[in-house]
Amino acid sequence: MNALIADALDAATLAGATYADARIVETRHERLSVRTGHVEGIESGESLGIGIRTIASGAWGFAATSDLSADGIRAAARQAVALSRAAAITARTPVTLAPLESFTDTWTGPCEIDPFTVSTDDKLAVLLLADDVLRTDQRIHVTSASMGFIGVHKVFGSTEGSHIEQSYIESQAGIAAFAIGDGEMLPRSYPSNLGGQAVQGGWETIRALDLPGNAPRIADQAAALLSAAPCPHDMTTVIIDSSQVALQVHESIGHPTELDRILGDEAAFAGTSWVGVLDLGTLRYGSDHVTVTTDATIPGSIGSFGYDDEGVPAQRDHIVTNGILTGLQTSRESAPTLGRTSNGCMRADGWQRQPLIRMTTMSLEPGEWSFDDLIADTEDGIYMETNNSWSIDDRRLNFQFGCEIGWEIKGGKLGRMIKSPNYTGITPEFWASCDAVCDRDHWQVWGIPNCGKGEPMQVAHVAHGAAPARFRDVRVGVTR
Amino acid sequence: MSHTIDAVRAIAQRAARVTPADAAEAIVVASRSALTRFAGNRIHQNVAENDMELSVRAVLGTRTGVASTNRFDDDSLTRCAAAAVDAARHAPQDPVFPGLPEPHPLSLPSGGSTLLGTYSEQTRAEAAHAIIGQSEARGLVAAGGIAVNDQIVAVANSSGVLVAMQTDSLRATVLSTGEAQASGWASYYGRDTGGFLPSQLGSQAAMLAERSAGAGALDPGTYTVVLAPEAVADILDFLGYLGFGAKAFSEGSSFLVGKVGTRALDSRVTIYDDALSPGTIGIRFDYEGQPRRRTPLVEGGVFAGPVTDSYFATKLELDNTGHALPAPNPYGPLPLNLEMNAGDTTVEDMIASVDRGVYVTRFHYVNVEDPMKVVLTGMTRDGTFLIENGKLARPVRNLRFTQSALVALSHVGAIGAKRQLCGGEGSAMLAPALLLERWDFTGQTG
Repeated sequence: MNALIADALDAATLAGATYADARIVETRHERLSVRTGHVEGIESGESLGIGIRTIASGAWGFAATSDLSADGIRAAARQAVALSRAAAITARTPVTLAPLESFTDTWTGPCEIDPFTVSTDDKLAVLLLADDVLRTDQRIHVTSASMGFIGVHKVFGSTEGSHIEQSYIESQAGIAAFAIGDGEMLPRSYPSNLGGQAVQGGWETIRALDLPGNAPRIADQAAALLSAAPCPHDMTTVIIDSSQVALQVHESIGHPTELDRILGDEAAFAGTSWVGVLDLGTLRYGSDHVTVTTDATIPGSIGSFGYDDEGVPAQRDHIVTNGILTGLQTSRESAPTLGRTSNGCMRADGWQRQPLIRMTTMSLEPGEWSFDDLIADTEDGIYMETNNSWSIDDRRLNFQFGCEIGWEIKGGKLGRMIKSPNYTGITPEFWASCDAVCDRDHWQVWGIPNCGKGEPMQVAHVAHGAAPARFRDVRVGVTR
Repeated sequence: MSHTIDAVRAIAQRAARVTPADAAEAIVVASRSALTRFAGNRIHQNVAENDMELSVRAVLGTRTGVASTNRFDDDSLTRCAAAAVDAARHAPQDPVFPGLPEPHPLSLPSGGSTLLGTYSEQTRAEAAHAIIGQSEARGLVAAGGIAVNDQIVAVANSSGVLVAMQTDSLRATVLSTGEAQASGWASYYGRDTGGFLPSQLGSQAAMLAERSAGAGALDPGTYTVVLAPEAVADILDFLGYLGFGAKAFSEGSSFLVGKVGTRALDSRVTIYDDALSPGTIGIRFDYEGQPRRRTPLVEGGVFAGPVTDSYFATKLELDNTGHALPAPNPYGPLPLNLEMNAGDTTVEDMIASVDRGVYVTRFHYVNVEDPMKVVLTGMTRDGTFLIENGKLARPVRNLRFTQSALVALSHVGAIGAKRQLCGGEGSAMLAPALLLERWDFTGQTG
């Protein structure tokens, strides 16, 4: 691969690029799914290609191809330069990049048991058992159990002299039960929705989830939801579980603090941000309890790497410090607008895509509460678990989230079950109402491997550390 | 790397032949695409992509397994076929599996010149420049993109299916923004580059932005709404995803369950899926190589039934409507070329007929609150106006809605006479504007 990278960089330079980088990415994947006792799919695949990014005439170009012949790579490099030159028709100021030293390095993610070496029979046995246990109640009409694995090997090189090889394996698994009755379908999933928890790691991480062991609880709760109370229409105190806090962070802190959004680069599709560059250091984003970091160095997180996709080393940085906006997610091109260097957030969805600013592991730092103490300290409210629906406006202000399940809180105790609870709010008001975050014992990193952004669409694998947290005066039970 | 239809078809046929199984199916998708993206009145992203993927489904008895690759040397093809067979070996027998479908007569275009060949990076850059100029001249800022996609899809199986077709498309989007929350939108999607007039599109977005400046508050509540076609397309998309597919129908989660043959929507609502419809962009066969046919989903407000593939047609004892997606997939068969019948009203006449209501240019980030009732929530954006006394009275800030699409389509006031092709990533929908008499806005961005 090294020779191919060198060919690409040479061809781009020869065609007139003043800067070029090239990434060869080789991926393999395997996915197995069981639905209501039926093996729905066993499939595997591989993909290999190169993406070449250039600056020529002061503008960006990017071309990607799966044709890794010498002619194919050279043609792609020349095409990238031609795209740069065409883009220059509207250029105002030439693209410049924050300084970066060159690196020659390798990085490998954690993995104890390579899941690609585990037999299909062993994998199916886990899924079929979990799915079977889910179907013990006739009110459960549909069940699912799935697992998937991705192996990535990528090589990055740049005309500045960097040469970086990285390899990692991701594993994901989850189960869900769907109760259907009286014109409604109520899902209950474990450990989270949309395919479950995703981590960097191997088969050992699937074992640790214990899907069959958690299936009875999930099935019981799904069935019970059919006769649960509807969510009241109210302004009340809400405690949300760590997986929902993770998504709340994702949508209402992660996306609005991407500097490319703030600068307008995603305006037409994903939108912009309610945050401005001049807000750094002064904007009150939330209460004193709200401290948020971006960290690409957390072992086992799908938001971790050694270097981002423009060769910047993985970093930990503060985005919100005790409620005040103190940082943004940046790239080599955008960071100088803050007078800073990149904090390493440029990531691409495979060889086909140009890197964009993407979240790594963006976390609400843990507080000091135990979960039991937090419930006991709450006189009246709702505790909600596991996301089921999400929507937020194009400036990341007005959000509405639905959860799979909730429980009333009365007099410091969890009470009757609530089905399909939802809540809505405005980002800074909501985070300002946060008055408690649970401690590190309740904090965990949640993988979100389905974050869409950009055109052509890129699906990033990001993550969020989170613990249950409490919010006051939240509007719940939006009309359904 | 530029492939011909014949070459892609031959690869699919070869892959199906060399797979050592009782039966085999191969899907090859060769794609070339380019996107010129602009923001802040300059091109900030100019990209191109070239790829070809093969997916092989191996069948052993009634067991199936799938493997895919984008590498086409002999070793890779052999490895892919072997992986599919190995997956099938581990799968249990599936008594419902009907076997791979037989070939059916299909009339397919022969291909030829493609949009990507004629719409070069220079042409795209000049178009972007023209669009930007319309905003810049008004002191506004333009963002958007011009995307050109060429794709060849081929399907072959050991029962004799052998089909291939080329499609291409051009999609252009323009967001024009300015002070006082001014925000306007325009888009084009189609195969006819003659219909894409960059300056005109840029002007349309910029004029809407000027008109939307100074947006104010509006109390949440139930309003009559006039939805522009792109907002209607969002509703159609969710109807298709949540209820018109045979898998949701089979599992009992579709709104069609127990209601096929009954009037559930306004009698003026007729919805089809039709990849062959003039004006749409679609492949004339599905991912099993079966002919896609014009499939009624709602006729005069009456639910007609779901779309199927060979598996769900067998399971539900229905006709195969030719809506298979590549196997395996979590969705089952889905309609990718939805269209709502046009009415006879202009948007201007719709607005003129409303005493008090809201005009919506498009929605943003729509998601599902209740799948069986198709309760959706999302935001308006890029041109939302209060209608008073038959006129656009003033722009309003973006509103959140939480609304059942089924309830909304039961209270139709008028349907637009002109349809717009909407979509772009995987589906194409022909949608008219709609006047809906009840629409619940549940919040507003402050």
